Amino acid sequence: MGIEIIFKIAAIGILTAVINQVLKYAGKDEIATFVTLAGLIIVLVMIINMISELFVTVKNLFML
Amino acid sequence: MDVVKIVGMGLIISLCVILIKQVKPELSFAVLVAGSIIMISMIFEYFTNVFGVLDTIINATGIDQELFQIVLKIIGIGYIIEFGAGLCNDTGNTSIGEKMLLAGKILILVISLPIVTSLFDIVIGLIP
Repeated sequence: MGIEIIFKIAAIGILTAVINQVLKYAGKDEIATFVTLAGLIIVLVMIINMISELFVTVKNLFML
Repeated sequence: MDVVKIVGMGLIISLCVILIKQVKPELSFAVLVAGSIIMISMIFEYFTNVFGVLDTIINATGIDQELFQIVLKIIGIGYIIEFGAGLCNDTGNTSIGEKMLLAGKILILVISLPIVTSLFDIVIGLIP
């Protein structure tokens, strides 16, 4: 639970942007949209896991 | 000390949010959420120490343990509502953040009702 998660998300964002450009240049626009969606879903799943972990710790801490 | 670490983390996170906003705007919210979770999880061990000390004090003075539980609940609810409302305001739709704050206030009111009733009983008891 350190700073590397931020860098991981940033890397995924930049990577999907680059892949988008390459695919767009190669003419495969529909695959580019799928790549964008895939990147977004991966990041969202990571975020949802972090949020659930946070809520569990808060629940235990404050005896909610 | 930890303060320097927290401020450094905050600056790095806001920098990443700006960077990601150009490359892929929809991920900037994800970076924001992840950053705020990381910043808060650094603080949690201090919370446990504080509550341990408070617990011993409460037991020493013999105040009803149930009241302390309610106070803890209120703090917890206040914190989570603050966390969510802050994120909503960051994304720009402040109206949802305001709704969250309102809901949090009402929840806290509902939870603190037993205290009000017990106070009322005490006052009634005092009157001869």
